[in-house]
Amino acid sequence: MKTIAVIPAYNEGAKVGNVIAEVSHYVDSVIVVDDGSSDDTAQIAREAGATVLVHLENCGAGAATMTGIDGARILGADIIVTLDADEQHSSDDIPSLLKPIQDDEADIVFANRFGRRNRIPFIRRLFNGIGNIITFAATGKWVNDSQCGFKAFGPLAVAQVDLRMSGYEFCTEIVRESAQHKWRTAQIPAKVMYSEYTLAKGQSFASGIRTALKILLRSFLR
Amino acid sequence: MELTAYQIVTPLVAFVAVTYAWNLVVRQKKTLWEALLWTVFWSGIAMIAIYPNSIDYLTAITGIADRENAVVVTFLGILFFIVFYLVIRMENLEQRQTRVIRKLALKDLEKKL
Repeated sequence: MKTIAVIPAYNEGAKVGNVIAEVSHYVDSVIVVDDGSSDDTAQIAREAGATVLVHLENCGAGAATMTGIDGARILGADIIVTLDADEQHSSDDIPSLLKPIQDDEADIVFANRFGRRNRIPFIRRLFNGIGNIITFAATGKWVNDSQCGFKAFGPLAVAQVDLRMSGYEFCTEIVRESAQHKWRTAQIPAKVMYSEYTLAKGQSFASGIRTALKILLRSFLR
Repeated sequence: MELTAYQIVTPLVAFVAVTYAWNLVVRQKKTLWEALLWTVFWSGIAMIAIYPNSIDYLTAITGIADRENAVVVTFLGILFFIVFYLVIRMENLEQRQTRVIRKLALKDLEKKL
């Protein structure tokens, strides 16, 4: 089965090259979506061998992920792996993420950063816990690490996924999609490496609140 | 019990809203969970319309017992609705712009194939 990695990237020139090099060992090709970066993200990604799709303006992680998914569909992907461009995920986890799909046991696999011993700052644990609760309130489905960008979509999910939310809310929307389309889900413990760089890239408290409100509002009005 | 026009129309509107929500579930555009939330919300509205006394405790807590207070609260509600409507419109415009940007990005890929 053709496996393509989708990496949404915004000003990740410093990290995206290494991520592509590592991920390439486990997938057939890599798509990087440069989400309106002002640095050399697109150029570095091209040099590292990725197919690069460029957003002319910054649209958000959700929009970039959906562009990457559409690109992977065009390239004939059977399985799509999404991951962040900031080196927080370990590409060594990709085989275990793909296994439930290859064994036809799941249509979508969520990585779970809390499923194994990881050094995660307390504030991150708290925000992710709140994110899980809001996701459950909006979708009725519990996922242990709903806000993690590291996921694998099987053939059914690749065919059906349709994200409309542009920002960080897309993680919750993916859980909603899995509930709506009744995808079989699996959750795999995954390694996460937080650095000053990755922590600086995360959502602020204010944007977290905005994201939460958007999720609740949209789920109610949809 | 004698019902006013308001007490008849509001539950009917609630019934239509709930029916529409479950229709969306059947058409797979809304999840079961969202339809349940929608049903609880509109059932509450219908309940308040039929049994207005059921929220007597609210007037006790908030003090919205007299006409002046009620007018202020009503206008606050209208202002909230206007802001909410504008936010939704802005979001729609943002989504349109995003769709254009995404299409342009994919056009390049389609050309290469």
